[in-house]
Amino acid sequence: MNIAILSGKGGTGKTTLSVNLFSYLNKGTLIDTDVEEPNSHLFLKGKLIKEEGVYKKYPLVDDDLCNYCGKCGDFCNFNAIIPAKKKVLVFQDLCHDCGGCSLVCPTDAIKYIDKEVGKIYHHQIDDNKLFLYGNMTVGEVSGVKIIETLEETTKNEEILLIDSPPGTSCSTVAAIKGADYCIICAEPTPFGISDMRMVVELLRAEKRNFGVVVNKYNLGNSEIFKYLEEEGIELLEKIKFDREFANLLADGELLINHSEYFTNKMANIAKKVLGDKND
Amino acid sequence: MKIAISSSENNENSKVSDRFARSEYFIIYDHDKLSFEAIVNTAKDEGSGAGGKAVKILGDAGVDIALVPELGPKALEALLAFDIKSYQYPREKTVKEVLYLYFEKKLPELLISTSKGKH
Repeated sequence: MNIAILSGKGGTGKTTLSVNLFSYLNKGTLIDTDVEEPNSHLFLKGKLIKEEGVYKKYPLVDDDLCNYCGKCGDFCNFNAIIPAKKKVLVFQDLCHDCGGCSLVCPTDAIKYIDKEVGKIYHHQIDDNKLFLYGNMTVGEVSGVKIIETLEETTKNEEILLIDSPPGTSCSTVAAIKGADYCIICAEPTPFGISDMRMVVELLRAEKRNFGVVVNKYNLGNSEIFKYLEEEGIELLEKIKFDREFANLLADGELLINHSEYFTNKMANIAKKVLGDKND
Repeated sequence: MKIAISSSENNENSKVSDRFARSEYFIIYDHDKLSFEAIVNTAKDEGSGAGGKAVKILGDAGVDIALVPELGPKALEALLAFDIKSYQYPREKTVKEVLYLYFEKKLPELLISTSKGKH
């Protein structure tokens, strides 16, 4: 069973929830798909067992074969390939790796070559758990390929937690692609609710089952609970804000190692979402 | 010789645009015929890569010189590939005014981009 943890707004507690829920579980795998700024690894002490590159392809034009017909440029939706007077310009960071330009090229002048866009790190946690995270190369524009590779690598896990990127853009859509269930980690602030609404819209469009964990519920206002009730969305759990939690997190500590309150919350979420799969 | 100017409207008395590739129009001045022509900038609504596409429009129109407010790195690379020289104009002028400034050699040629690429 694959469970994605997402939020819309950043800083609501996705990673806190992901790493603590993962550590609470008896077995399972966690992937951190926030490849632009991964941070789950800061909380999980494991052994690095594998490191691999993720590659994207981009076109390379053979000037000797090119007849400057312009078909590649007409085809490209992203202006990544522009036929000029005596050469064809390729803007690697605009390319979406679709292969279209090489398909329409009448002289076979376009080859695709590899470019590393990021890395994936595999960690062994305890004896029976795996943790993987992706890290996008600085200067790259999209982490989708890295997220897809993370998901492909872990698609057959029995229990998979997916720490998702914030927002509702391509990266988040890629992260929830393989999810059977989604946990929205929300906070009761105007900004938090506004962004959560977008996530709800996304998950409904993608036909995903989901529930909400309201984090820091004693801050902000009660608007969020009204919204959940009106929309008929399941409230999985609510977790208080506690300065001590913030201190522990800043020290890179797992809250379940220090707080019975937090451990009970994780136990309850695991039971609601995984049922007896964690036994 | 043809000179293109990024313009907010469709004639030579229009105010020049603050953006190169996302301007509404390009006014093309044909120095041989002493005539002006406006072309709609279809690159302006592109999700990405407007700079390269805008330059392609100018290249296809046979432009030799572009008068611009600013240039990103991709637009500059594309201008070089199309053998189009670019000169930077001051803001708040009209198309005709910056053309005069060009012929008076008062516009600096752009050899490095003036802004970072925007995504």
